[in-house]
Amino acid sequence: MKVWNDIRGVVLRELRIWMHRPIYLVGSIVTLMFCTIFCLTFFNEGIPEDVPVGVVDNDNSWVSRYFIRELDAMQLAKTVKFDNYDEAAEELYKGNLGGIIVLPQRMSADIQSQKQPEVHYYINSLYIINGALAYKALLTMTNTANAAVQREVYRKLGYPEYKLRDLIQPIAVDAHQIGNAENNYGYYLTNILLPAFLEMIVILVLSYSLGAELKYGTSRHLLDTTHGSMIDALLGKLLVYTILFTGMGMAMILILYNWAHFPIAGSLWHMFLAIIMLVLASEGISVFIIGCLPVPRLALSISALYSVLGFSLSGFTLPTEVMPSFVQGLSAAFPIRHYYLWYCQEVFYGTGFAGWWPQLVSLSIFMFLPLFVLYRLKGAYVKQNFPTN
Amino acid sequence: MEEEKKTTFLRTWFKDFWGIFLNEIREIFSDSGVILIYFVAGLAYPMLYSLVYANGIVNDTPMAVVDMNDSEASRDFIREVDATREVSVAYHCMNMEEAQRLMTERKAHGILYIPSDFSKNIVQFKTATVSLYCDMTSFLYYKNDLMGVNHVMIDKLGKIEVERYTKAGYYGKNADRLAHPIIVEDHSQLNTNSSYTIFLVSAIYFIIIQQLMFYGMSLLVGTQREENRSFASLPDQFEGHGVNRVVLGRGLAYLLVFMGIGLYIAFIVPSLFGIPIRGQFFNTLAALTFFVVDCIFFSMFWSSLITRRESVFVLFLFMSPICLFLAGSSWPTFAFPKFWKLFSYIFPSTFGCKAYINGTVAGGDISIIGGYLIHMTIQTIVYYFLACAMVHIENKIIRHKDELREIRDRLAAMHGIDIEKNVRIIAGEKGAEEYFKRTNKD
Repeated sequence: MKVWNDIRGVVLRELRIWMHRPIYLVGSIVTLMFCTIFCLTFFNEGIPEDVPVGVVDNDNSWVSRYFIRELDAMQLAKTVKFDNYDEAAEELYKGNLGGIIVLPQRMSADIQSQKQPEVHYYINSLYIINGALAYKALLTMTNTANAAVQREVYRKLGYPEYKLRDLIQPIAVDAHQIGNAENNYGYYLTNILLPAFLEMIVILVLSYSLGAELKYGTSRHLLDTTHGSMIDALLGKLLVYTILFTGMGMAMILILYNWAHFPIAGSLWHMFLAIIMLVLASEGISVFIIGCLPVPRLALSISALYSVLGFSLSGFTLPTEVMPSFVQGLSAAFPIRHYYLWYCQEVFYGTGFAGWWPQLVSLSIFMFLPLFVLYRLKGAYVKQNFPTN
Repeated sequence: MEEEKKTTFLRTWFKDFWGIFLNEIREIFSDSGVILIYFVAGLAYPMLYSLVYANGIVNDTPMAVVDMNDSEASRDFIREVDATREVSVAYHCMNMEEAQRLMTERKAHGILYIPSDFSKNIVQFKTATVSLYCDMTSFLYYKNDLMGVNHVMIDKLGKIEVERYTKAGYYGKNADRLAHPIIVEDHSQLNTNSSYTIFLVSAIYFIIIQQLMFYGMSLLVGTQREENRSFASLPDQFEGHGVNRVVLGRGLAYLLVFMGIGLYIAFIVPSLFGIPIRGQFFNTLAALTFFVVDCIFFSMFWSSLITRRESVFVLFLFMSPICLFLAGSSWPTFAFPKFWKLFSYIFPSTFGCKAYINGTVAGGDISIIGGYLIHMTIQTIVYYFLACAMVHIENKIIRHKDELREIRDRLAAMHGIDIEKNVRIIAGEKGAEEYFKRTNKD
């Protein structure tokens, strides 16, 4: 009974603090809302369409014009005409074009006389999506052009019309994109970006809240509220923030997989569990940081440096297996990495518990971190013997 | 007489300016938090990112193959897939279930399924279709699966056509000419292998400069405000004049610090990690200088919203990844929704990153980065005036503190918030007394 009273006191006190200082709610709810709106609107197109491709047409025949028209008609690309290579190259270097294609002089005559004209590509892969899409468009287009010429050859050889299609395409690749059938870049990024933002918010806001007690010298009063029990004080604080953060996390999961219809093979309930575990693990990290370093500004700086790294080390863009080996090991120290692996199992393959139980265990381990620093944090709260600025 | 007045004005101006500059340098170097951000993070972060992304090319993505055909043609196809840079055939499976299991266990990142009629179709002049199942958990797996198999497919296509033409009576070079009527030459010199390192790290460098400067400056500004010695109170010593002196004097301190950090980030780190520097030295230097100056006034303006020391991280840290996307190197600028395009003009990094990528990494000359320099100049001018305005406004606020506090109390009373009671609940009796003593003293 006493424990419950203590915790209730801390909870009410924390709610007062929120009323007094908007930073807690602005830093959590408003920030996550902004990020959600950003991700859902910024990547709205899914995959960029009409990548600008520069065309230098030195042939100017009906064949080259037909080629350009067909390229322009592709969903992937949009052509921009240039008089010479230099002008086009300037735009390519500026990153305004994904690539350039140069059609040679006498292209149409050379095709007809089987002299194999050379078509030249220049791709700018410093802008990686731009470059990849332009490359795909140009490759598809030249293969189509090759096939069109072959069709004529086979026709002259006397093959019947209905066989031509098979003849010009002896082998085809039927590609299936598992779990993201539309090849949607927005789904791919948002699915991990938003939880990574949530992790960042949890770590920062919670260590700010615990640090503020030291900074403004209110930590002794906090302990008075719980009659000197550090565990009760921490439980009370964590209760309020866990409700806030898991609420935000579950709303995020609902928005992604229910409202915005992101594809998910498994169950929504499992993702709820995943996001709750992510929040709890991040809270463990946060308490651990402020406990090790009960100096608000250092703890906040370390939290900031740590949580920004999570975006890279989750391995959702560049896979961790190609990172240097000690970085691969380091990635295990980030809850978002485990969340990413969990999400791969559940969202892409729907494996359920059998697939993600190792991640459940890993994320649970983070929750024991506060135990190591509880004593030290209590010391700091009672003695207030660390610099506050 | 006139002459004399002018010189004394200039002299005092310069004296004040110099004093503020020295004061700011002292502030920067006497704050351990700022030192941590500027000198520890500033030196370590570019290194760390370069290290994490040191090997940005994913080779030999493991693939599981299900060969239901088991013919010479299918084995040849598989062998060629294995030989590509992108894919390595790691598992030969008996059936799809086995391959699927390998994929969910993340041992294989793609499945190639060759149907039993594969070789028969080729012989019968029908299209032989192979199925490819790509792992979409990372786009680099997907890209490798697709590129590896497609390259083999295109190569096979040509070989089969040549064979067929040979059978139809075209020999040697003639058959080749018919099978490849157009030849494609790829001259992609900028980032030939689509290395993730060069693409991402070259954009991150300038983001790091901007964000570190902003966080450090906000930390200082927050501290000064907490201690009631805001930089905006400086003009008081000059009888209300000298907003320019304050802004420029402080700016010079950051220019000095950040040109050092900037040169390190823009030149030394990339050469340590093999990021190509194709641009000329002075072009990069120009881009860096314009960018740093722009960042200074940008940070001055936005940091004036920070009232307490640590709050900058809680409020603005999430902007770092967002700035990276707004720089337009990953998601192409032409695909930005209109609002976000306008929004991106707030940040110096939108132009700075491109100036660095296009000028330094790609090797573009001044005609290519000139546009970005002009944009950054316009931004600098706008932020300079905004920064001056903020100093001016804050100065007013400091002078009219008591009136403002009265307004706050009145508003609180109107909405039924009892500030005194709140403070007592949060900080306890003793804490509250201290709080009131402190606030009444000001």
